[in-house]
Amino acid sequence: MGLLTILKKLKQKEKEMRILMLGLDNAGKTTIVKRLMGEPIDTISPTLGFNIKTMDHKGYKLNVWDVGGQKSLRTYWKNYFESTDGLIWVVDSADRRRLEDCKEEMHKLLQEERLEGATLLIFANKQDLPGAVTAEDIAQILDLESIKTHHWKIYKASAITAENLLEGINWIVEDISKRVFYND
Amino acid sequence: MLSYIWSLVNWYLRPFIKWLLRHTTHMCELQRICYGEPSGAPRTYSVEVSLRLSRNPEIRSLLAYLDDIADQQAITMRSERAILEESIKTVLITKHINPTAHPDFAKSFGKCVELIWGYRQLCVHCEELRQTPYDSDNAKHEGLLLKLWDLLMPGEELDGRITKQWQDIGFQGDDPKTDFRGMGILGLENLVYFAQEYPSAATHVLSHSMHPKYGYAFAIVGINLTSMALRLLKDGSAKTHIYNASKTLPTIRAFHQFYCYLFYEFDGFWIESKPSNMMEFSSIQEKFEQNIKAALADSSTVFRINLSVDNI
Repeated sequence: MGLLTILKKLKQKEKEMRILMLGLDNAGKTTIVKRLMGEPIDTISPTLGFNIKTMDHKGYKLNVWDVGGQKSLRTYWKNYFESTDGLIWVVDSADRRRLEDCKEEMHKLLQEERLEGATLLIFANKQDLPGAVTAEDIAQILDLESIKTHHWKIYKASAITAENLLEGINWIVEDISKRVFYND
Repeated sequence: MLSYIWSLVNWYLRPFIKWLLRHTTHMCELQRICYGEPSGAPRTYSVEVSLRLSRNPEIRSLLAYLDDIADQQAITMRSERAILEESIKTVLITKHINPTAHPDFAKSFGKCVELIWGYRQLCVHCEELRQTPYDSDNAKHEGLLLKLWDLLMPGEELDGRITKQWQDIGFQGDDPKTDFRGMGILGLENLVYFAQEYPSAATHVLSHSMHPKYGYAFAIVGINLTSMALRLLKDGSAKTHIYNASKTLPTIRAFHQFYCYLFYEFDGFWIESKPSNMMEFSSIQEKFEQNIKAALADSSTVFRINLSVDNI
């Protein structure tokens, strides 16, 4: 193996990012991932366990871990924290009843030591549904302003219409790359 | 490239081989299949391949007609007889087969037509049910959901329509409605059929799902298995089982039974795998699906739910 190939390999390795998708059950995590991958989104069942998808995005290889959000599965979320570069928190904007729950679970995550420094992208999903809470209101309910430990940004989004999905991914990738690959 | 050459050779050679066999055996390909292949999946599958490859305009228009009525779900117990007779007549005339000399052929060929287009119709029907979302305002849907509870938890009352009790039978939250997302009413009908037709098997599986160490979410696993059953139906893998198991026109019942078999077997497979937690579901489900596909690749396979639990 020549020096060049070793350098290339190192470089390839550097360009990988690990993204963790979490949120309450029925938030739309799997649908967002499938939509981004261009796969059909109409036959999705509740996720038991997790799915891993790899996406190429602007020269970076994103390893996206989509983990089930059911209450009984949340205790296992911690198994997926290690070396996470970015966290995507998906919110069902139409499920007003559980927004408090949603806030609580998210802030619990942000205190995790192993998620320290991870960039946080929040998708206020299901904006296509009537009665969806606006992204501004969700930002308030989730008390995003109080987050000082992570870079964060919220996007109103819809996995059905694909609104803002790419914009969100662009932002999180850019933020991670600034932090991880250029600031050394 | 190789497969291209093969298909080219096949395209020119097939008619010649068929002509040769026809003149040496004095029978057309469909006859040779119906007499030579064992009934059920091997015969039906070969007839299907032969018909689909046919270049005869009469046969082609017959296939188009059958596809069309299957897609409209117009093959019923009542209309079936006339449709089969019409199909048999077309083939007898086109292939110059004397029905009095070959009385068994008509019967055997008719059976194949029934299975092939019954299966196609079943795919359309299941897809239609999948696309019907669970609707809380539909009294029939609500009734079915409550029936599922009563079947699985006899003697225990629900506190209300929206309650944490749903999690006892493995739904995610306090309203099962959203859990049916991708599988629609098909997922619910599958669960109800399992609980209703195989009560002891369903109770057995449900009690396993509550195991302190190897427990899992019964209803959610069930919905994921609906998705698997439908996948196998639509990619044609399930033909082996449906063709072998059906004595008459395959209907939704055949799909429900296929599903019950999968659920019961998956439960055993899961417990045997000794998973350390629920997060192993995707990998164990994948292994299970591969096993089922391998079994279905054998054309003599027919799944029967092993009800040894009934005798305990």
